[in-house]
Amino acid sequence: MGSYLKIGLTLMAFAIVVALLLAGVYTITEEPIAQAELNVKLESIKTVLTDPVSGELLIEESDIPGSQEKLNEKIWKESEGEKLYESKKYNGYCASPAYEFTLKDGRTAYILNGASVGYGGYVTIMCSFISNGDSMEMMRLEVLDYSQETPGLGAKIAEEPVKERFFNIPESGLEKGLVVDKDSGKSPAKTKEEEKANKKEGIISVSDLMTGATITPRGVANAINTMTEYLEQTTGGDK
Amino acid sequence: MANKQNELTNGMFSNNPIFVQALGMCPTLATTTSATNGLGMGMATLAVLIMSNIVISLIRKLVPDKIRIPVYIIIIAGFVTMIDLLMHGFLYDLWKTLGLFIPLIVVNCLILGRAEAYASQNSVFKSILDALGMGLGFAGGLILLGSVREILGAGTWFGLPLWGDAFNVFIMILPPGAFITLGLLAAMFNWMGISREERKKKKEKAAKKAGESA
Repeated sequence: MGSYLKIGLTLMAFAIVVALLLAGVYTITEEPIAQAELNVKLESIKTVLTDPVSGELLIEESDIPGSQEKLNEKIWKESEGEKLYESKKYNGYCASPAYEFTLKDGRTAYILNGASVGYGGYVTIMCSFISNGDSMEMMRLEVLDYSQETPGLGAKIAEEPVKERFFNIPESGLEKGLVVDKDSGKSPAKTKEEEKANKKEGIISVSDLMTGATITPRGVANAINTMTEYLEQTTGGDK
Repeated sequence: MANKQNELTNGMFSNNPIFVQALGMCPTLATTTSATNGLGMGMATLAVLIMSNIVISLIRKLVPDKIRIPVYIIIIAGFVTMIDLLMHGFLYDLWKTLGLFIPLIVVNCLILGRAEAYASQNSVFKSILDALGMGLGFAGGLILLGSVREILGAGTWFGLPLWGDAFNVFIMILPPGAFITLGLLAAMFNWMGISREERKKKKEKAAKKAGESA
């Protein structure tokens, strides 16, 4: 009996020591982790607000929030839970909160976070939608989380040339709902002009870059569609 | 000295954890989709292996025999969680690449295996050597496996393009590719081991004959 008690106490002692050490490390790293996560978020916001063609930052450098409090001032819509909006049709959601920025030229940019299902789970993206007064276009996106996609195949989605295929989608394309070219029945775009014309029809040309991986870009397209659906509902007529 | 050298090379070749002992198959198959991932997983495992071997060797006389396994697991899991937190806070980019694999290290039976079979019975210095040898053997195996799969599957090596898309065999990046490559590499290692032994035997025979005739 006594020996069992001793063994139990020894095990408890080890567990307590390791738990205390872990608690210490957790306390030390809590703040740096929050800061690192915030930095990534701010960096992505800065990226999606940079014009992909001219490379120019569309808001004042000083307008980029430097802390969580400053970022909270830019909140446009938020909800109690983690999700702002869910779309059954596209199997995706918009995450809360969404942000609103005023550009240098007075236009409004909405920054939305959202996700839809890819090959192995949700693919999370951040998009910037720019309102031109009477129309809305999607300017740029960042792929935030694609950890469940196959490396070398679906994970190519985060490479710059692939992301570029999703840049600057005009309203006509967004309204039709985005599909990847393999689902559209169209043959792959051969020239830049063709690719651009496809975007007006809501067709994203990726099959030449992502051979063998259609499901991941389909997830990204659906995430954008979910955001479009949400924006249509909330901004309605006055864009 | 020869003995110590043996401690180090044992894990790298003759007792390679992946190809000979077939330990830690879960991270081996899951994370070797590219050479970079293999390197990352190998290095993270090496770090945890060295630390856990040191601590377990230090406390080996304090732990009652009956509860040694739970104690080892507590220590290993504690280390892995600490590394995860520290990397998340201070080495964000590296954490982002390896983040998925770090919790997997806890369930790598290689680490528990070395704690149980070696560190719990040997001095700290010897345990470090053993951890280095086994860890490097594991990392080397992962890099080899990752390289083969990446080169054949994506046409790149450590992200550098080698040839165009035409030759790429996608199945190499997918799970079946992992099993096929692992099987072929293990067969190669075994064949190398067997043929080396046969050569040794032949040499011995020849030496004996030479000795007899002389």
